[in-house]
Amino acid sequence: MCHADVGARLVGLAVSGVMICIGTSLGISAPDLELGRYLASECVTCHRTATATGPIPNIFGMAEPRLTTLLRAYRDKQLPNPVMQQIADRLNDEDIAALAAYFAQARSP
Amino acid sequence: MTDLTRRRFVAVAGTSLVAVSTVPLFAPRAFGQAKPKLVVIGGGPGGGTVARYVNKDSAGAVEVTLIEPQRNFTTCFFSNLHVGGFRDFKSITHTYDKVGREGIKMVHEAAASIDRDKKEVVLAGGRRVPYDRLVVAPGIDLKWDSVPGYSEAAAEAMPHAWKPGSQTQLLVKKLNALKDGDTIVMICPPNPYRCPPGPYERISMFAHVLKSKGHNRSKIIALDPKETFSKQALFMEGWEKHYPGMVEWQDPKVHGGIKSVDPKTGEVKTDLASYKAALANVIPAQMAGRIARDAGLADASGFCPIHPESMKSKMDANIFVVGDACIPGDMPKSAFSANSQAKVAAMTIRGELTGSRTFPARYSNICWSLIAPDDDVKVGGSYEPGDGKLKAVSTFVSQKGEAADIRKQNYKESLDWYAAITADVFG
Repeated sequence: MCHADVGARLVGLAVSGVMICIGTSLGISAPDLELGRYLASECVTCHRTATATGPIPNIFGMAEPRLTTLLRAYRDKQLPNPVMQQIADRLNDEDIAALAAYFAQARSP
Repeated sequence: MTDLTRRRFVAVAGTSLVAVSTVPLFAPRAFGQAKPKLVVIGGGPGGGTVARYVNKDSAGAVEVTLIEPQRNFTTCFFSNLHVGGFRDFKSITHTYDKVGREGIKMVHEAAASIDRDKKEVVLAGGRRVPYDRLVVAPGIDLKWDSVPGYSEAAAEAMPHAWKPGSQTQLLVKKLNALKDGDTIVMICPPNPYRCPPGPYERISMFAHVLKSKGHNRSKIIALDPKETFSKQALFMEGWEKHYPGMVEWQDPKVHGGIKSVDPKTGEVKTDLASYKAALANVIPAQMAGRIARDAGLADASGFCPIHPESMKSKMDANIFVVGDACIPGDMPKSAFSANSQAKVAAMTIRGELTGSRTFPARYSNICWSLIAPDDDVKVGGSYEPGDGKLKAVSTFVSQKGEAADIRKQNYKESLDWYAAITADVFG
């Protein structure tokens, strides 16, 4: 799946992203950045040198709600790439929150 | 540390305080102790990754030494794309310049042995390198006598090219010298071996080169000691689609057994037939690199058993084995696997040496294989400790008959992955 396709599908997933933001704002436990950093080591194997135009997108500095929405969508099989579906399959909500928080503040590996 | 001078103490303490303020994820050891030492044998995707992750994440609190005799490391992964003419040799060859600049002590000398009692690595020149934790990532050695008639010397006439570098270049040279009507014979390896889809991707690259040159009378005979192989349905579909009639894969029921190879004449004999190979690519059985076996880290299989929670050797609590030399359970022996195992080992080692947090081990693997231009297939899996091994928790594989745009996208992904993982290993 190319980056543009993901962007288009995100429109349809925006509602769930908003719900996640509300959940975060209600003060549900803060993301575990240290866990996020460890989990992110799996991601960088493919995303480390990603560019804006490549098939594997750059996720460093990605807004927290966007990455959260994307990972949940892959986990729920709403986005089709089998690699990402598999990666997201074993991520629970705490893992996804940790990853999203880590990548939002990380500008490089 | 009793001989620590006051000046030295201030310097060490100052370094640690800086580390704490800039890297909150690092938990330092008590002041006044010597830096713990991590030594890594092997600078490939397993060893190189451990060295860089411990060095970076410990923020200088662990002294990291990487022992790798080569100054230029050619990756085995993507070497098939060089065979097929999709990558030049330079693009799959990397230096350790950045690794050295990051503060890792590079030792470009072969490690001769491991003195486990004294916790020291003995270099080929005799110097001893002490360690608190040791990572052994030597990759594979070839069992030359697993194919009758084959030997290290025979590899000059019948290259294996399963250890990258000059062997890869020799294979390409011989491939490019073939004439229309010539026969290529590949002897595939028995399980377990490095890169399960690799022999079949290589067959695809051979066929691509022959087809590109219009060598329509040439044949590729693959003699396999296995009855099945990785991504078999996908490769066979691809061979029929792109190279009809060119590839003939034989399992043991067909060839009856591989009897001998003759590097002088190029003859390859099976129980049922004899082939005159203009190019024979012999990939023998494999085992862990010698230094791991000599140190008593391997079992009767020739590979090294590990604890799946940490990648720690079952033979020595101070040693970790990652990459192709270990027994990876359900994981394939691949660069992706080695890199993934290395990150679990690095986290565990850092935790043991600095007291930093650790998390439950998770592993993953993805292997892309190119069948023809823009026709790339992939297989992958997630793994966790279970049943005493690295156990698959989910897997996927490309489907037969997929649309061309999916296969093309796979190829583009593989290019991005290569750039990312080599940056992860070599900086």
